[in-house]
Amino acid sequence: MLASLFLIGALFTTPQMSVQAASQTVVEDGSGGMTRAVNRMIGGIASYVRWPDGSAASTRVMCLVGTPRLTDRMAPDIPGPGSIAVRLMNAATATDRTDCDILFLGKMPVADRRQLIAWVRGRPILTITDDDAACIYGAMFCLNNKAASLSFSVNLDAIGRGPLRIDPRVLRIGGGGGSS
Amino acid sequence: MTAPNQPRIAERIGPRTTLQKLLSRFHFGITLFAVALSGLTILLAGVTALRGYADRNMELAAQLGAYGVEPALVFNDPHAVREGLEPLTRIPGIARLRVLDDRGRPLTQWTSPVADPAPVLTRIFFPRPFAVSVQRNGSPIGTIEVWGDSSTLIDYVRIGLLAGLGCLFITALGTIFLARRFEYELVKPLNEIATVAHDVRLHRRFDKRVQPLGIAELDRLGGDINALLDELQGWQGHMESEHALLAHRASHDTLTAMPNRAAFDEQLAERIAAATAHGDRFALLFIDADNFKAANDNFGHTAGDTVLVAMSTCIKETLRKGDFAARIGGDEFIVLIDPLDTEAVPDQLANRIRACVSQPIALPGGETYRAAVSVGVAVFPDDGDNATALLTAADAAMYSDKMTNRSS
Repeated sequence: MLASLFLIGALFTTPQMSVQAASQTVVEDGSGGMTRAVNRMIGGIASYVRWPDGSAASTRVMCLVGTPRLTDRMAPDIPGPGSIAVRLMNAATATDRTDCDILFLGKMPVADRRQLIAWVRGRPILTITDDDAACIYGAMFCLNNKAASLSFSVNLDAIGRGPLRIDPRVLRIGGGGGSS
Repeated sequence: MTAPNQPRIAERIGPRTTLQKLLSRFHFGITLFAVALSGLTILLAGVTALRGYADRNMELAAQLGAYGVEPALVFNDPHAVREGLEPLTRIPGIARLRVLDDRGRPLTQWTSPVADPAPVLTRIFFPRPFAVSVQRNGSPIGTIEVWGDSSTLIDYVRIGLLAGLGCLFITALGTIFLARRFEYELVKPLNEIATVAHDVRLHRRFDKRVQPLGIAELDRLGGDINALLDELQGWQGHMESEHALLAHRASHDTLTAMPNRAAFDEQLAERIAAATAHGDRFALLFIDADNFKAANDNFGHTAGDTVLVAMSTCIKETLRKGDFAARIGGDEFIVLIDPLDTEAVPDQLANRIRACVSQPIALPGGETYRAAVSVGVAVFPDDGDNATALLTAADAAMYSDKMTNRSS
């Protein structure tokens, strides 16, 4: 009993050891390796996010703005039940819509990105980008590929401002890199 | 003939032991049995409970590990898996950890740097790893396996063994204490009985009795022994009085109740020895009745006896303290005047006896008789320094006195 309590305590008090992005997802060799890794990572992140409106099992809409750098076949893979529907659009369309649960920011002009980040603030929308290795431009999760591996960083400021609740274990893996 | 029989007797009796040793052994056996029984029970219960706790601990560790590595498995990230396992590596009693992905391929594993203190215990208690499936939204994404080791059990076993030794020590102490108590309460009263019996047998102390001991069975035994001693004491007393009577009869003349010849010889030898040793002197009077045979013939033996009793009474009356008189023959008496000092002049004493005897004696037939005696005096060591010489001298003196009496 005591040991288990100690264990739970230890789980949350473990100092975050790495400054760099902690996640080091193994990317398989071959043409589809990076695509699978990216889709799995986005699905994984989404599965640890709680939207204020409902259950984890429901279908989420991912609005894709700009050009993804890591893959051109974006189809996030959520473990277990639930799925993510991908909608391609430009920045202006995205701010008009109301059904976006996830906003993926690909490569885009700086002004568009700034506008979108500002629009997202306060809304229950998860922001993910693959065009911000240092994770400093306001997206909550930043994907980054490094020498045959894929990793993600977490921007705690951006998460803290939003109404989304994210499993702390994911934040720990993200290592809080690029923020605070 | 007796030699071949001896071992058989020894065999039948067997090695001897004391009651205390017997009780001590008995107590030790019982206490040891009780301690062993309770110790075994506690050990079994403890091991069962401990095994339950150890199992639950492993299971809990596996569950926590599953919780910790779940996101890492989702992201297929071995580094994060290792980090997720880190809290588990600090729990004592975990020998090995392994995480498999959804296709059963090992993603990462960790082995404790601490060597297993007792591999046998580990094999008994943790024959298989605890495997917990890691799930995300209901679908399995991997497996975590936890192997336990005996490091937590070994402490329990060690404490158990120490406690067992302690119990043995306390058992030994308790046995000694109980044996001492029993010695006090049982062996001591028994010893008292034995002491009384021993005293009675060895020193003929028939007046000894067993005191009340406060234990019903022993008191009954003591009571029986006391009753037996009462009987023995009665017999002993009877025997002593019989013996005294016989001894008196052997040394005394029945008619006059005076010491006889045998007693006189003994007395004379003692007094000669004492006088020789101290340089003292004493006198011996040889007294013989005159014409006693004629008195016997004329008046009958009963009258003779009466005369003898009267003579003995006269002689006894003249004796002082320390003097000794005996009847050594039919009408012969002897008086030892000892010590011989200025106040005790033998001739005066002889005259007093003569005077006393010459008083008329009433005979059974109604007649009266006047007896007369002849007295011879011999003084030790002047007239003889041994019994024979002294008696001869006294006899000679008496004889001359008798001649003088006859002629006058």
